Parts: sequence; C-alpha cells; structure tokens
Amino acid sequence: MIIGRDLKRIYGKGPVQVLALNGVSLEIKKGEFVGIMGASGSGKSTLLHMLGLLDRPTSGSVSIDGIDVGTLNERERTLFRLRRLGYVFQDYALVPELTARENVYLPSMVRGMTPNECSLVCSEILDLVGLKDRSHHLPGEMSGGEQQRVAIARALVNKPTILLADEPCANLDSQNSRVVLDLFKKLNGDLRQTIIMVSHEEWHKTYFDRIIYMKDGLIEQE
Amino acid sequence: MFEESKVAFFLAQRSIARGNKGTLYLTILILGMVFVNLIFLPSIITGVAVLFNQQSIDYSYGNLVIEPSKNQIYINNVSELQKKIEHIPGVTGVSPRYSTGATLTHKGNVVTATLDAINPDDEKTVLKTPSKVISGNFLSLGDTDQVVLGYQLAGNQDETLDVIPSLGGVSVGQTVDITFSNGVTRPYRIKGIINSGSYSADGSAFITKNEYESVIGITDKANEVLVRTQVTGNENIMRNTLISFGVQEKIWTWEEKSANFLNQIIGSFNIINLIGTIVSLVIAIVVIFIVIFINTVYRRKQIGILKAIGIDRSIIIKSYIFQALFIFAIGTFVGSIFLLLILQLLAVSPIVFPGGPVAPVVDPMLIIRSVVSLLVVSIIAGYVPAWITTKEDILSAIRG
Repeated sequence: MIIGRDLKRIYGKGPVQVLALNGVSLEIKKGEFVGIMGASGSGKSTLLHMLGLLDRPTSGSVSIDGIDVGTLNERERTLFRLRRLGYVFQDYALVPELTARENVYLPSMVRGMTPNECSLVCSEILDLVGLKDRSHHLPGEMSGGEQQRVAIARALVNKPTILLADEPCANLDSQNSRVVLDLFKKLNGDLRQTIIMVSHEEWHKTYFDRIIYMKDGLIEQE
Repeated sequence: MFEESKVAFFLAQRSIARGNKGTLYLTILILGMVFVNLIFLPSIITGVAVLFNQQSIDYSYGNLVIEPSKNQIYINNVSELQKKIEHIPGVTGVSPRYSTGATLTHKGNVVTATLDAINPDDEKTVLKTPSKVISGNFLSLGDTDQVVLGYQLAGNQDETLDVIPSLGGVSVGQTVDITFSNGVTRPYRIKGIINSGSYSADGSAFITKNEYESVIGITDKANEVLVRTQVTGNENIMRNTLISFGVQEKIWTWEEKSANFLNQIIGSFNIINLIGTIVSLVIAIVVIFIVIFINTVYRRKQIGILKAIGIDRSIIIKSYIFQALFIFAIGTFVGSIFLLLILQLLAVSPIVFPGGPVAPVVDPMLIIRSVVSLLVVSIIAGYVPAWITTKEDILSAIRG
C-alpha cells in the first residue's frame, strides 16, 4: 500500500518558484496498475519521483507498506529503492559495457546474491520478458524495444514491491510500445505486480486499472 | 563493504574490457612514461654519485686519509707509520705522499696546480692513477728529473678545448719548469701523461717523493698517508682499528674528505630531480583526472540512473578508483619494461659525463617511492572526479 498525503513540491526560490505539486493525496493498493496522465508540466513525473524516492516533497508525506519514507536518510533511501522499488525510464539507461544479462543481474549483485543465484533469477526474468536468446548481447546490439525490455527485467530482478515507469514507451514505436505494455499487463496479472506508470498517450489507457489525471500540480480526476 | 567492492570491481572490469581502447592505451602509455621519468633521472644522479665516489677512492683518497696532527705540517717518521699500518688486517695498501701546490711553466704558459709527490710502488697499492697512462710511462722509484702530468693539465694546443688552465698541449719528452713552495725552480722532463677521468688526478702533476724531499730538504715525512682497505664501506670500523693500533694522527674517511664537493653536486641535481618529479606527478594526476572526469561527465545520466535503481554512490566511486588503479598497474608495468630497455641500452652505450661513463643506478627505495607516489596520485585522480560527478542529485543527473 502506498499512501501520499498532501504532497507539495516547490522548485526554485524567491520570485522564480515553480509549484510542481500543490497538495496531492493518493492511495495505491497492492497489485494495482495505475496510470498517471496529464499534459506536460502537470506534475505527473514529479509525483512519480516522490513515490519512487527520487526526490523529497517540500511538504507532505509518503508511506510505503507502513514506512514513512521521509524519515529515511540518503543511504537508507538508496537501500529502500534497491530492495523494494523497480524503475523503468524512457531512455532505457542500460550500462553500455554490460550485456543484457549483466545489466539485469547488477542490482542482484548489489544485494549480495551469489553468481549462481543471480544467474538463475536472471534467466527466469529474461525469459519472462522474451529475451532469453539475447542475454549475451550488449545494449548497442539491441533494438530500442529490446533494450527497454532489458530495463524492465532489471527493474524486476529484485522482486520489487512497486514498479515505477516514467514514460517507458516515449522512445518506442507503437509496435514495441505494445510489447512493453503487454508485458506490464502480464506482470500485473500474473505476479500481482504493483505498477505506477506515467504516460501521455491516450491509447495506453486501456492497459491501466486506474488512471490519475493531473493538472497544474493537482489530481484533476481519478 | 566486500559486496560493494565486488560490484565496483565488476563494473570497472567490464568498463575497461569493453570501453574505449584508444583512450585507455594512451593513458597507460602516459603513465608508463611518467614512471620512467620518476625513476630515470634519479637513477642517473645516483649513477653520477657512485661514479664520483668511486673516483674519490680510486684516484684521490683511497679509503682512509691520515693527516698530520693539529699544528703539525708533516707526519714524521712516516716509514715507521707505514710499516705499522701495512700490518693491520684489512689494509691492502699504504701510500705516504706530499700533496702540495706548485707552479708549472712551459713556453709562457704558467699554471698553478696540485703537485703530488709519491712513491710509485706504494701509490700503485692504493690508487689506480699509475695504471691510467695514455702516453709515455708512469714514474719509477728512482726518477728524479721526471714528471707525469694529468691530461687536462697538459692541455691542448687549441686552448678553447681546455677545461682548466693548461700548459698548452705539452707532450711526452718535453720539459716543464716546476717552481716549488720554497721558491726553487727545476726543469722536469715529461715522462708520461695520464687520463683517469677524475678531475682531480687529471689536473695534477706527479713527481717522486724522493725528488720532492731533495728539493724541499726534508726526509721520511709526508703530509698525507693514503690507505686502501680490503672492503669499501667499513671505513669507520677501519679507522677505529687504526687508532687501536696506535695511529695518533688525524684519520679521515674518503667520504669525509669529498663530502662538500659531492654534496654540492648531488644537492644541485636533487633540486632538478624534485622539479622533474613534481611535474611528472602533476602530469599523471591531470591525465587520469581528465580521463575519469570526462568519462563520468559523459555518463552523468547513467550514473543518475544507477543511483536511482539503488546502486550506492560509493560503489560507483569505487568502480572509477578501480579503473584508475588498473591504469596505474598496467602503466607502471609498461613503464618498467621501457625502463628495463633503457637500462639495457645504457649498459651497452653509457652516457659519458665529464667524469667518465655513468651507468644509471636504480635504488629499490626509489622504485618503491615512485610506485607509491603514482599509486596515491592515481587513487586521488580516480576518486575526486567520480566524487564530484556522483555528488549531483539523481534527478538533475537523469535530466542531464
């Protein structure tokens, strides 16, 4: 369960202050596939960053599974992200010198898993995202869609409580976007994976269980 | 901690193996050259010191120099002293001699030089000067009107080639006039010319001790006694042995006699060396810093993502330190090979200094010091840029 209470985020100081979030409260239950939509500058990415511990709210609180994450120090937040959260960014952000397999098992290594455990988990997940045969390829040798699926596999490798995706299809064509969204839907259905995804594509709506519409830093409609 | 290092090492290893090879090779080469520079110049300086030290022993002082006691001009009954010292275990040669100043004249060339009055047979047991004759012969015991000159004192007909004031290119068979400290002037036939490579010997004139004593009117005296010992390096022990055998005169070691001269040379060289070392280390730190900094700035976004997915900042910093350490290790190895080749080359064709050929002497402490300083520089140059780049907050890094 994720609970956000009266989240405000103000960027800048003095007369050039930007109010990115203006008191957002929300609850997301386990196993939900939630879409956050809205126009550019509506605050959807800012909200995702708050929920994903990539940024701190100016005021308000975020609680994940009963833990007030605002009380965690930087090191604890890093560990929290590693153990409980998975991220997918719009530009894949894979390490170019690591193969698909190595990119996926990197977070597991940090958690202290043995090479055998890493290898096993990695094989399962790459199979799940349909890239078992491409596991030894470097990112530069893969298509955008394949790279994004590797990024999804990396996000899932530590079995996160929540998967956060910030416009994961923004750099993909519609065919590859569909592959990624189908995969999200499958993960959500089969594994009851909680997913929060930011998107501005209307046709993505069909994949979400619930949609949060943002406007001017506030939830306009759910 | 160990897990973190393992991941950092994994990232560094992959980055090196699959990253840009050209930059890597170039950086390693620069580090290798810096390592050569850190070792080469000091080893030449040490080589010069070794050369001058050996020359001091072989051509000027032997291992020990006995001088008259305070307020005495000469050592009296020197033959008795000589016999006493010759019987001391560890002593291989003793040469009583007079080392004084004299004025030498030849066809208008007037030069004041050191005049060593020696017993040729004794001198051979202590110094190598008698074996360095390049023209004519060295002195014999019975020589009275003959002189042997150092080649720099004999000089060149073209005086621009002279290093010190000379007699204008005299040769064996010609005659020079020597004016002694008591005002007596006598003609001497040049019996031989020596070239030892030592400034001191090559600028001196040599006559027999008997001849000097007959000119000055003294007998069985000397103003210095040179002593050669079996082993070089234990002069202080030998000095105590001589004292325990009843030698009451002042005893100097060759190091004490040549200390000022050598210290001045080494001191000057060390200043040059210090500047060279600092410049080399600055080059090393700047090169590694720039390479790592460009690398991290180029991957700013990637670093942000890594931090976002839970890779701790310290792992990322460590991975860059490991890369810097790899560059250091291979650079040092490459530098060692270069150095080895240079040393081999110099063993075949040594650098010829005015004092003679100099072979570089690589001191193990110098190697350790150079390796440690490069190691420290590499760690700093790997750490600082990685620390600066990873300090940025995640969202700023991701947004680029």
